Amino acid sequence: MRKLVTICAVTAALTAMPAIADTVKIGYMTTLSGGAGIIGKQMQNAVNLAMQHKGGKLGGMDAEIIYADDQRKPDIAKQLANRLLKSDRVDIVAGVIWSNLLMAIHKPVTRAGNLLISSNAGPSPIAGDQCHENFFSMSWQNDQTPEAMGKHMQDAGIKSVYLMAPNYQAGKDMLAGVKRYYKGNVVGEVYTKLGQSDFQAELSALRAAKPETTMIFQPGGMGINFVKQWKQAGMDQVSKLYTVFSVDGVSLPALKDSALGILGTQTWSPDLDNPINKKFVADYKAQFGGYPSFYAAQAYDTILAIDYAIAKSGSKETAKMRAALASGDIPTTRGNLKMNTNHFPIQNIYLRETVKDADGVVTTKVIGTVFNNHADSYAVNCKF
Amino acid sequence: MTGLFHFANLVRAGIRDNQLLWMLVAGFALFPLFTHFADLPFWNDVAMRIMLLGVAAMGLNLVLGYGGMVSFGHAAFIGIGAYCVGISQFFGLSNGLFHILLSIGVCGALGLVIGYLALRTTGIYFIMITLAFAQMLFFLFVSLEQFGGDDGMSIDRADFLIIDLYEPLRLYFLIWVALALVALLLMFIVRSRFGVTLRAIKSNESRIEAMGLVPLHFKITSYVISAMICGLAGTLFASWQEYVSPDIMHWTRSGELMIIIILGGIGTLAGPLLGAIVFLLLEEFLPVALGAVAPAYAENWMILFGPLLIMVVLFGRGGLVGLLDKAIFSRIFRRRMAVK
Amino acid sequence: MTLTLILEQIFNGLQAGVTLFLVAAGLTLILGIMDFVFLAHGAQVMIGAYAAAAITQATGNFFVGLGLAIPVTFASGYLLELLIIRHLYQRDHMEQVLATFGLILFFNEAIRIGFGPAALYSDLPESISGFVEILPETPYPAYRLGVIAIGLICALAIHLFVSKTRIGAMVRAGANNPEMTAALGINIKILFRLIFATGACLAGVAGMMLGPLTSVQPGMGEPLLILSLVVIIIGGIGSVRGAFIAAIIVGLVDTLGRVFLPSILRLFFEQATADGAGPALASMLVYILMAVVLIFRPTGLFPAKG
Repeated sequence: MRKLVTICAVTAALTAMPAIADTVKIGYMTTLSGGAGIIGKQMQNAVNLAMQHKGGKLGGMDAEIIYADDQRKPDIAKQLANRLLKSDRVDIVAGVIWSNLLMAIHKPVTRAGNLLISSNAGPSPIAGDQCHENFFSMSWQNDQTPEAMGKHMQDAGIKSVYLMAPNYQAGKDMLAGVKRYYKGNVVGEVYTKLGQSDFQAELSALRAAKPETTMIFQPGGMGINFVKQWKQAGMDQVSKLYTVFSVDGVSLPALKDSALGILGTQTWSPDLDNPINKKFVADYKAQFGGYPSFYAAQAYDTILAIDYAIAKSGSKETAKMRAALASGDIPTTRGNLKMNTNHFPIQNIYLRETVKDADGVVTTKVIGTVFNNHADSYAVNCKF
Repeated sequence: MTGLFHFANLVRAGIRDNQLLWMLVAGFALFPLFTHFADLPFWNDVAMRIMLLGVAAMGLNLVLGYGGMVSFGHAAFIGIGAYCVGISQFFGLSNGLFHILLSIGVCGALGLVIGYLALRTTGIYFIMITLAFAQMLFFLFVSLEQFGGDDGMSIDRADFLIIDLYEPLRLYFLIWVALALVALLLMFIVRSRFGVTLRAIKSNESRIEAMGLVPLHFKITSYVISAMICGLAGTLFASWQEYVSPDIMHWTRSGELMIIIILGGIGTLAGPLLGAIVFLLLEEFLPVALGAVAPAYAENWMILFGPLLIMVVLFGRGGLVGLLDKAIFSRIFRRRMAVK
Repeated sequence: MTLTLILEQIFNGLQAGVTLFLVAAGLTLILGIMDFVFLAHGAQVMIGAYAAAAITQATGNFFVGLGLAIPVTFASGYLLELLIIRHLYQRDHMEQVLATFGLILFFNEAIRIGFGPAALYSDLPESISGFVEILPETPYPAYRLGVIAIGLICALAIHLFVSKTRIGAMVRAGANNPEMTAALGINIKILFRLIFATGACLAGVAGMMLGPLTSVQPGMGEPLLILSLVVIIIGGIGSVRGAFIAAIIVGLVDTLGRVFLPSILRLFFEQATADGAGPALASMLVYILMAVVLIFRPTGLFPAKG
């Protein structure tokens, strides 16, 4: 009798144990080579850090990250997406810095029944009429950050503003976002050449217009050029400079003191006060030397989101993870994030200033919150 | 006796180049069998990209290799072919055959206009003016907001009525048919009187003029044909990528096409396709190779690619076709000659 | 839109043009005399900028950085010609394009490996960050005036050298008819090497001066390369005088076009169209200019040959 009970108990115990742990495979696509490789590198660092923090397991399952270098080309991104899905048989495709690359792989990945999680790009068609339930954004919708900028300037009673952005889709979206909330006087709206390196002519025209504030969107090297030349031309005497996506963890090491005092809006800042962010920033600085950028924070959050989805749903099936993410309270470096109906985050947007930290390193500091739990403007057009 | 020897050389050159091309085309037809049995379905995608690039390169080779006109603007025609699909779909026209006819028509017309204006110049000036036109078209499409600007447009595969391009391998064989047709067309042109005249113009334009012909007519005609071929490549490319954006027509893409042609062998029939194969395979495997040897520098694989190109120029006269010719074919032929 | 603004923009255009000239001068001589399509000229700009920034960071002195970077760039051009370029003179243009394109890839990656992919920190030293009031109520950065001055001095020096010295005469002869020049017994090999190194040096000087103004990162020279190609085409290949005049024209057209075209368009079209088309047209303007010049003068404004 005792033997039977023992056998039954052992059998029960054996069947109750989980099967040999499944492995969840994540295809992480970013730009590692070429001019923008620095951004991809930061994202890769962040993903590796997240995996370290999670002990190599996401949601209890062993996790494998397969990195794919898209070289910033849509056809390579498309081919990589196909390879990740068909050859490497990944469960989730994540990453993607650029809007055009995301547009290229959006349909193929979501239509194949896999989750696509963006660590950065957030173009309006994917938030609106071309949305798909298998897509999740762990970053923002492109318009949100400039909308916050517009609101801040409106609330602060700023009387005149001069807008400047490069002449491409993201540039136009940014300025449109600002104007959605700012109802004051726009004394100039200038679109510069993409990749422009010398802004002296634009600065001369700016000085002649004498706006109270100047709001620019000049990502990457363009931002470094603009801010340097702004300071060298003594423009701080003429106008106050606001930026979106131009002064961040990628450009600050090249700008150093010339960026001090510049204000900007962003969904994240290294000094956000919550346990996850504190640990992330401290460990990133220790391992990689230097502050992480928002790209890195969003990449980190992407892994946290996948961990949350698998843990909450108990499985790596697309439908179950999707439900977990859509309804969940995802713990990230920005606090707990909720997803909007179009699977973009509803989040705070902060006003930040460029300052020197205790060690004399230039970084950004939150000085106010512009939007609490802000949703993007395109969710209303999205119907799954 | 010497006459016979010269004739044998001519035939030898012609047969080999042409044979290589058909071997490659046949290879692409059989490739899906291989990927099926080796369970590597992803490689069909790579093959499709190679075929499309090969078609475009063959188009450019007509003016560049055979006509001696170095056009930096042919990526623009690929882009326009792709946008013909995108813009048509935007207005609800999704028939694939319509897309192809539209793109051939538009690219032909545009090729005529640009060719007429640009062919007033020669040499480096011609290169730059074609670059200028390509840049203008690029900036034009970047500024077209309703078609997505530089964010591009997500599109569906074209609708060919009886053929559903979403079924596996349907698109593959459609592209293959285009490849075979373009190869046939080029072989025909190159051997025709038109082709011979074009090549003669490349080597000595004034002699042709002295014969009473008008070189400009031949140049423009070949320019228009090459534009249409590139347009066709672009149209099918749009269906493969399911996305169009101005990136396709950036001048660096034209540069890539030129690299492919030079790599393969300028002015040969098989060169463009061979160059496309090697170029894309290098793009796939160099990062992997470097990653295996020096993982810390995996992203810097282009530091190997650059010197590789330089070496091809320094040591590989006549591109890969020339190399293959020297290494393999002449040895076989010489042996046969000896046996006789 | 006031007169002072227009005059200030003309100054900006001059500065842009003068910088372009430094890059274009070397390129037009290399293309004109050696008939060599040197696409990697933009990499020389980058090497100059990196040399200056790195030496400045190491020594803490901006002027030492500039001073030492000049021989460094001259040496890099000299070595490049000696090791690789001279083997390519006999090849046709297409192969030269391929080889120099490979050089661009190599240099960009080498810099990326050596200095990292992020932009290097470079800024103006306090001593030259002041302003000069060139027009009433128009403070203009002193450094930029310095750039204009250096550029003009270089242009004058090149002009005097090419037109008044014996070596200059050899250079002009080489631009006009290389075969004949070699047949006259002039050591063409050394001449070519020196021309190449000098061209590289000039491009490096442009890079060094731009360094504090712009971001020093891999690939920073490529946009300048494209514009310089446009300049030497408009100016006529092989002609330094043509390069100078064309560079100034291109600098002015690009600058003035960028800032005034949207406003000009607004006079003829409604605002939405003007604001949409303005920037697009402005970026195309230089290419349209080149196309127009080539249609009427297929070999440029002041070609050296015939």
